[in-house]
Formats: sequence, structure tokens, C-alpha cells
Amino acid sequence: MKKVVVVLLTTVSIVLTSMAVGPEFQKVMGETLAGYSECKTIEDYQGLANKFERIANVEKGEWLPLYYHAHCYIIMSFMEQSSVVKKDEYLDVAEISVNKMMEMVPYESEAFTLQAFMLTARLVVDPMTRGQEYSILSGQAVGTALGLNPDNPRAKYLNISNEMGAAQFFGNDVSKYYTQAKELLKNWDNFKSASPIHPNWGKDQVKEIVDSCK
Amino acid sequence: MSIYIKNTVIVLVALISCSALMAQSTNIKGVIFDIKNNTLPGANIYIEGTYYGTSSDANGKFSFTTNETGKQVLKVDYIGFEPYRKEVELTGKQINIEPHLKESFNQLKAITIIAGSFEASETKKAVALKPLDIVTTAGALGDISGAMQTLPGTSTIGESGRLFVRGGHSGEAQTYIDGTLVHEPYTTSAPNTAVRGRFNPFMFSGTVFSTGGYSAEYGQALSSVLLLRTNGLQQEDQLDISIMSIGTGVAGTKLWESGAVTASFDYMNLTPYMQLIPQNINWNKYPQSYNGAISVRQKTGKRGLLKTYITYDKSSFSMDQENPDYLPEITNINIDNQYVYFNTSWRGTLNDKWSLKTGVSTTGNLDNNELGFGDYRGQLHGANAKIVLANQISEKINIRFGTEYFYKYSSVKYNYEPYSVHYQLNYTSNMIVGFAEADIYASNKFVARVGGRYEYSDYLKKYNFAPRISAAYKIDDKSQFSFAYGIFFQDPANEYLIYTGKLDFERANHFILNYQTIKENRTFRAEVYYKDYNNLVKYQLTDHLVPTDHNNSGSAYAYGLDIFWRDRKTIRNGDYWISYSYIDSKRNFRDYPCEAIPGFVSKHNFSLVYKHWIGELRSQPGFTFKYSTPRCYNNPNKADFNSESMTPYRTLNVNWSFLYRQNVIIYASISNVTGFKQEYGYNYASFANDEGFYESVPVIPDAKRFYFIGCFITLTKMGEANQLNKLE
Repeated sequence: MKKVVVVLLTTVSIVLTSMAVGPEFQKVMGETLAGYSECKTIEDYQGLANKFERIANVEKGEWLPLYYHAHCYIIMSFMEQSSVVKKDEYLDVAEISVNKMMEMVPYESEAFTLQAFMLTARLVVDPMTRGQEYSILSGQAVGTALGLNPDNPRAKYLNISNEMGAAQFFGNDVSKYYTQAKELLKNWDNFKSASPIHPNWGKDQVKEIVDSCK
Repeated sequence: MSIYIKNTVIVLVALISCSALMAQSTNIKGVIFDIKNNTLPGANIYIEGTYYGTSSDANGKFSFTTNETGKQVLKVDYIGFEPYRKEVELTGKQINIEPHLKESFNQLKAITIIAGSFEASETKKAVALKPLDIVTTAGALGDISGAMQTLPGTSTIGESGRLFVRGGHSGEAQTYIDGTLVHEPYTTSAPNTAVRGRFNPFMFSGTVFSTGGYSAEYGQALSSVLLLRTNGLQQEDQLDISIMSIGTGVAGTKLWESGAVTASFDYMNLTPYMQLIPQNINWNKYPQSYNGAISVRQKTGKRGLLKTYITYDKSSFSMDQENPDYLPEITNINIDNQYVYFNTSWRGTLNDKWSLKTGVSTTGNLDNNELGFGDYRGQLHGANAKIVLANQISEKINIRFGTEYFYKYSSVKYNYEPYSVHYQLNYTSNMIVGFAEADIYASNKFVARVGGRYEYSDYLKKYNFAPRISAAYKIDDKSQFSFAYGIFFQDPANEYLIYTGKLDFERANHFILNYQTIKENRTFRAEVYYKDYNNLVKYQLTDHLVPTDHNNSGSAYAYGLDIFWRDRKTIRNGDYWISYSYIDSKRNFRDYPCEAIPGFVSKHNFSLVYKHWIGELRSQPGFTFKYSTPRCYNNPNKADFNSESMTPYRTLNVNWSFLYRQNVIIYASISNVTGFKQEYGYNYASFANDEGFYESVPVIPDAKRFYFIGCFITLTKMGEANQLNKLE
């Protein structure tokens, strides 16, 4: 009898567990983040951004889904080549998520880094007109990000990339930025993300700078 | 016991089967469309409150499987469209949906009315001009009105330099800074030489140049308004230094947490330049000017900004002039002008629905001129105060209303000792205004603006009511039609009001139809318009040339076509625009004996502006070519009024901007580089000589070409900013 009751209870508990279906947040985020490696086209990023949006819709207190949602849209803006209007439209979407995120974590270095990334993307849409204003805005956001966490490698990367972009535009010598990028790449792995689902991108981009040196 | 076990088994089976039922999955598939049956790729389809979902593919199709059961809400999100929601019962049976999403309404992305107006702004994306264009246009030399004169609807009047719009006199065009009126927006210049705008274009981040049909918020302008919005809060401390062939300037900005102050000082002296480059004019004292300005920005609360600006100008020169009335004697004239302008404004939101815009401006202008045939002292004090409230009544309706007050005092003293001529005239006028306007959106594609303006002048003892209506319709993503109609009133000019207040407002009616298409970096716009004027001031001249019998019996008409084409795509790193205007206009005003084509109208006006960025040289060279058909002028020796033609106006201006360092820019320009002959008719004597002949002198610029070179340095803590927005 006792056995029966134990079996019964076990069964019930198994049933109940399986009723609480749905992978938990960490797991879903981990799986979704793995999707980055398969993204090649704007459409791929759009699909990935939608996944992050679905997670953000459920997990209203989490800033990371918003972070990645905006991040995908910023990449889409960089990838879009046919229309400057579309480039801005993607950034309009990114900006909404960035703003929501900034309200949740107003002292997060990664949040300011992403904001700087978005502002640089705005600059790239029309450098002639937006150059002055957005280079300052993006520079300030990077500065805040580095102030909050001087080791943040993504903030360091954006800092190098922004200054190098400006130097190239003005035809100035860019060799010192290669040195900085090499240094950053060398120490990249010393920085440990807060968790496996925290931002971890940027190494490839730094590599690109270093490789372009040759 | 066996029953017990049996029961247990039943419960167990029931539980297991129940769990199997719950784990049963449902497939949801379908296609996402818009209301025009186009498929939408990339839409986000999901079950509300869960992670389950997918995106539509390139053909708008989707399919996903969920383990959820029971009643759920299926949602479809797509940017720019209203979200789709459907309650579904998940039972394991396949669900198929084919929703047609409706475009969502967004005022920021909805159509705007552009009839009559050219906007230069960074915030809006679909604009014909960018703020930088004003300073990088060859020949404009950083003068706002000069840059506007490369747009259709304007005439280049070389001997004046002011804005003349669609057959209207320059006095019919008004300038507003942050919503309030500026009197005397141009510098003082020698007779027959072009003036410049007083205000530095780098002060402004937004410009709207309206050639007609403007909002009920703006009045006291018969033909045109130039609306300038000053910069917001600066982003960092900086020091700007300019060293130019004609003077020098310095400006410093200091920031604090929620505000900033900028102080600037400029000194211009044309002595070295004019000694080097021969001038047609014999100067006794070369033009000199000083300008000092202070501006303060202060954030108030979360969304308010208080702006205050004050500037003082002093300029003077002395020259010899051939006056046809005193030939062969040479007249010596001394010009001295002092100018103070103050503007303070606050704009902010009161709550989610209401926003408030308020401002006060005052102008003081003092001319002390010795004209050879008498001393002239002219004084003008003007003030304008305004409050505008705006409310978003609903998603699709905005209203805006407000009140305005204008004050004007003008006095003129004239003395000519040799003939004991002394006169002194002055007048004061107060005007109160109320206006209201509503923007009504039918959809993203159609908007109508309806408004009206009421004015009462205590000096004229007259009131007027001016209705304004405009609308725009979007044909597709790139193209739109817009239309504007309105009645516009303006006080008669000071030079008449100083003699009498027994006059009525001058009046113009505008009808404008505009087509515009913007595709990527190419803009085409065409506009046709018709204007008719009445109540224009007419007068008679007495034998001593004193105007008398002022009345409102004058009238005029103007109609024409304006074309604008801008292309930043075809030529790599190149950017050009072409403007063409055709106008037919006649008027009967002032002391005209009959209706005639006024002297400030050219039938055909053409301009081409080109800019090219050369990365390797860190340079942007550019040129502007302009051509206008001959204007008329009156030769009193001829029987027909205004029957003589000037030479056509031609000019080719070139400029070159060079970025020496990130924070050092060198800029050079030459106006009329090919030396086209520029002659603006003749000035005739007021009285015939003994042979009954009116003597004359040609109206010509003081030099064939104008050369300019300047170096602009910006110092910041970051050391990387520059005056790129100064001169590219």
C-alpha cells in the first residue's frame, strides 16, 4: 500500500513537473544566443531578433533580451545596403529597446556600450551631416561605459573603432589604433562575462581591425 | 485490496493519459499579409505569454508547433503595423491563420504638408536640405538668405541681397527666431550693395523657408517667412577661433550639468582687403563692424529648455557716391548703425497631452547717417511676445492655439541745414493677435490643416481675419501632393505708417499646389502657385518729392512654376541641386503710374549648386552658377514706365574647404570668378536738368569679384571635435 502511494505520488509529481512545461529563461537564452552563429542575412537576424522579442515579452524584468533584440537590429542597419531610410528604420526599432533597457539598468556598462554602438550606426547612415553630432554622442556613451567598467572589452573596441573611423575620414594616421586593437585582442579572453548569457561579442570585430592592418 | 489496486491503476492510467493529452502538440501555420494582400516576411508570430513562436519567411509563410493547450492568444507583431490578436483553442488540431495586418498610425511617420516650404533639418529624414547646406553653398558665404537664394521661388537682386519671394518685395518676407519676430534682420550696407543676414548660420540647427501658404502661427508677412530654430544644449566645452581675410572672431562655450553659456565676439574690418583688391567705390572709411553675443541654455525639469540670446552690433563706413541729382558733384555719405536683439524662449511639455511654447523678442535699431543732402537719424524699437499651447486631442488630431503681441515704435529725424529743412516723424503701434490651428490625420496618407488668425492694430484701428487651409496626400512611400490656401495680412511698411495711420492692412491670397517625390538620395519637387494682392499702399509725390495721399488702392498678381531637383546619388561623393523658377507678375503700388512688372522680378531664374567631397585631399570644392533673365527699371526719359531692361544676371561662385587637421579648417571662395558683367540698371535724378533730361548713374557692385579666405580652429578637451558643421 505504502509502495502504491509512493508510486502514485511520484507519478503525480512527474506529471506536475511536465505540466510546468517551458524551458527556463537561462536555457532559452542560451539556445537563442547560439542562433547568432547561424545568422548570415538580414532576414536571419530579423528571425533572431523576433526570438529575443518573444523572450522580452515574457520576461519583463530582464534587460538581456532587450539588449540582444536591439543588437540584432543595429547589425541589420549595418548590413542594409539598398536604402538609407531602412537603415534608420531598423535603428528606430533598436532605439526603443535600448531606451527600455537603459531604464532597467541605468548603471550597466554593457548598456551604454550598446547605446554607443547604436549612435555610431546612426552616424554611418549619413556621416557628412551627422558626423559631428553623433561622434560626440557616441564618444560620450563609450566614455560612460568605460567609466562604469574600465575593463569592458566591447567599450574598448568601440572606442578604438570610433576614433579610427574619424581618423580615416580625416585622412589621419591610423597606425596607433592597430597597436591598440592588437593589445585588446591579446587580453580579450581575460575578461569574463557575468554569466554565459551576458554580452560576449566583439572579438571577431577586433580581429578584423587587426587583420586589416596587413 | 484488489479493488484498491484497480482503482489506483485507473487513476494512474487516467493521470498518464491526461499528461499525454497535455503533452500533445498543436501545429499552427499560415501566411501573413497586409491589407493589400502583399505578404509580410519577418513578422513575429507567437503565443502570448510564452516563448513559443516563429517568424514568417520570405513569402510571409510560417509554421510552428506548441505543446501549450487550451485557450491561448495567438499574436502577430510586425513593425509599422497594428498587432494582430486571435484567441485560439489548442487541442492538437492544426490551426491555420491568414491575417491581414493593418498599417499602424504614427504621427512621426505620417505625411507632412510641404506645400510652399523648404525645410533644413537633421531630425527629420525626408527634407530637401540639411543645415550644412546653408554654409557649404558657394557664393552664400555663410549667409542664410544667400543660401536660400539658390532655391526656387526666389529672385537674386544683386544690389539688395535681401530675400525677394515670388514677385513679392523683400519687405514682405519676415524672419522669426525660435518663434518670435526679428526686425531688421539684415546688416547695413552701402547703397546698391548687397546686404547680409545679421545672424550667424551656425547658431541654428533647423531652418524652414516658406515661400507661401504658411501656418496661422505666423503673420505680418505677405509673401514669405524664414523660421530659424536655434541650437539646443551644447555637448561640450569648446573654444572656436576664426581668422579671416576680413576679420576675426572668437567664441567660447562652457557647460554645466543642466545648461551652457556661449559668448562670442567678432570684429570685421575690410580695410586691408579693400586696399588690396581695387573697388569701384571710393571709400573714405572702409566698412567695420563689431559684434558681441551671449547665449544661455538651461534645462528646466525633465523636458523643458530655456534659451536666452542677446546680441549687439555696431557697424560704420564712409564713402563717396555719385548722386544723379547733384552731378557732377560727389556726395559724401557716412553710415553708422547700432543694433540690439534679445530673444528668450521656453518650450516644454506640461503633461502627456499639453505642450507649451513661449517667447519674447525685442529689437532696437539705430541709424545715424550723414547722406550729403541731409542728416538722417532713424530709430526702431520692436517687440514680440507669444504663447502657443499644443494639445494632442486624439491619436489623429492635434490642435495648436495661442496669442501674440507686437509693439513697434519708429521715428525719423531729418535735417538739411543749407535749406533749413527739418522734419521729425514717429509713430507707435500695438497689435494683438489670436490664432488657432488643427492638424487632422485621416490616415498615414492624408492630413489636413485648418486654421485662422485674427489681428487687431491700435494704430490702424483695423482688424483682420486670415483663414489658412492646407492638406497633403501621399500617393506612395515616395511621393505626395500637397496644397495650401491662405489669406495673409501685413502692416504697411514703416515708411508709409510714419506719415499716416489712416491705412488698412495690405493683403495677399496664396494658392499653392505641390508635388514631391523623394527616392533615396534624389528629390524632385514641382510647385505651381497663384497669388493676388490687394490693399497695397499707393501715394503721390509732391513737387518736393514728399509722399502724400497715401491710400490702399494698389494691387498685384503673381503666378508661376518652381522646380527643384537634388541628387546626391548619381555622382559618387558628389551632390548637386538645380532650381528653376518661372514667374509672371505685375503690380501697381507706391507711385507707379500704371500696372507694371516691378523691378525685382526676373521671369526666369536658374541656379545650379554643386559640391564634391575628395577624401584623399580632405577637401570639399564646390560651385554655384546662377542665371536670371533681365529685370526692368524705369527711365524717366522714356515715355513708358519701367520699360528698360537690365543686363541678365549671371554669376559663377567657387569655394574650397580643406580639413588641415581634424580641428582646423581652411576655407576659400571667389564670387563671380569669371567676372561676368553685373549691372543693375541706372539710378536717375529726381528732377530733370535744364535740357529736360534726367541724369543717371549706373548701379554696379563695388567690385567685380569677392575673394574670401578663412581659417577656423576649434579647441575642445577631447581635442577631436572640429568645426565640420562650420565649414565642411
